[in-house]
Amino acid sequence: MTALIMKDFMTIQRQFKSQAIFLIIIVIMSVLMQQSTILLFFIVFIVTIQAITALTYDELCNWDKYANTLPISKGDIVLSKYILSIMLIIIGLGFALPFVLLINRFTNHIATTNFFLTFCLIVTAAFCMLAMLLPIYIKFGSIKGRIVLIALCFIPSFLIGVLDEYVSNFLVTLSKLQDFSYFAPFVGLFILWLSSLISTGIYKRKDF
Amino acid sequence: MNAIEIHDLHKSFVGFSLKDVSFSVPQGTVMGFVGENGAGKSTTIKCILNLLKKEYGEILLFGKDAAEHEIAIKNDIGVVFDDLHVPETLNATQLDKFMKKVFISWDSHYYFERLAQFKIPVQKRVKELSRGMRMKLSIALALSHHPKLLILDEPTSGLDPIIRDEILDLFLAFMQDERHSILFSSHITSDLEKIADYITCIHNGEILFSESKDVMLYEYGIFKGSKEEVSELPEHAIIGKRYGIFGVEVLVRRNDVNEVFPLEKPTIEEIMLFYVKGNVV
Repeated sequence: MTALIMKDFMTIQRQFKSQAIFLIIIVIMSVLMQQSTILLFFIVFIVTIQAITALTYDELCNWDKYANTLPISKGDIVLSKYILSIMLIIIGLGFALPFVLLINRFTNHIATTNFFLTFCLIVTAAFCMLAMLLPIYIKFGSIKGRIVLIALCFIPSFLIGVLDEYVSNFLVTLSKLQDFSYFAPFVGLFILWLSSLISTGIYKRKDF
Repeated sequence: MNAIEIHDLHKSFVGFSLKDVSFSVPQGTVMGFVGENGAGKSTTIKCILNLLKKEYGEILLFGKDAAEHEIAIKNDIGVVFDDLHVPETLNATQLDKFMKKVFISWDSHYYFERLAQFKIPVQKRVKELSRGMRMKLSIALALSHHPKLLILDEPTSGLDPIIRDEILDLFLAFMQDERHSILFSSHITSDLEKIADYITCIHNGEILFSESKDVMLYEYGIFKGSKEEVSELPEHAIIGKRYGIFGVEVLVRRNDVNEVFPLEKPTIEEIMLFYVKGNVV
């Protein structure tokens, strides 16, 4: 497991260097605009892309064919991608948080309570996004996976459009659950764990 | 003991199937695995490695069920495919760090010795290496945890004769230990003539023969003559016939043919052609 995570970090480290430039630009932008949430969103976006990039690199070189000749279980191969994603989110947020707090300190743009609420929801959204992306990419690969993903994003948008009335009622109900939003990242982690079970099931049935 | 033992292996796809494949690789020997493109060599190897799920049949590695004891078995095998399937952004040093964590028996000293022997730059990324270099790196990776069994799927295809010769020498060195075994799938039958002890030939998903190389090369002979001359050969000596423009070529058992018939020593390629394209009796 450690070996696989280490290999993924070594594989994507060059990407980190190129994306560091964009990150600096975003840090400057968010300071100038006094919008700390932009930075948080951007970080979550970058780390999600990194986790998918690791999968794409594997697919390009047919890594799974080789990895499955090594004494590594299929479960570990899948789980390593999930742990990599969580580690990337922690590293990303760990990097962004001082900047975000500094911006907030000097601007008082968002109240501290609201900020932690936003923070929890962004982390949860990141977990949920990975919980959806990883099984799709593991099952279909990066090219077909993108098509499936577009289809999956289109269906909810279409349903929201059709069931507009009900959705707004649902959102009102959801806003009443605000007090529980601090637990949201744990719910996100639970969804991620369920997703890992699905991905392992898919992977074990795959031929290489 | 057999390093590999396969009984009645069956796997089917649309338009192709492995049909009750059975053969074994005795410990301490090199088994050459030959057959045309699409004959089923890679499919068989993938089933051995559990990369493909078999439909039925039995695959034993070191006497143990390959799927049931997968992880323990994979500690003792080294695999080389026709290309190096690792992310191209990694270099040989990073691969050493990875392998150290995968195999308890990983020998970094031996690995870097092989890299130096093959003149592989340790800091160059995989994508910057030539095909020959990549294959050498793949072989260094397969050997450096000191496996007992090497499974090679076309490791020398597309390589020049000099690099192929270096690689074959390395496999011969690996075979100095009598507990070691190799399953070597290749199109290049001349490579197998150099190092194989046994030859297994697969055609259309079926095993045509699995025999000792020496038996095949020294006990078989090729007689070239006219149809009239061939008719004088004893029927029981004839293994196969090929009809050409200039006459008939017959693969025979040398010991069953009178010395007056001039016989040529066959190559593995010729024997394979008799079985695949000729009329085998």
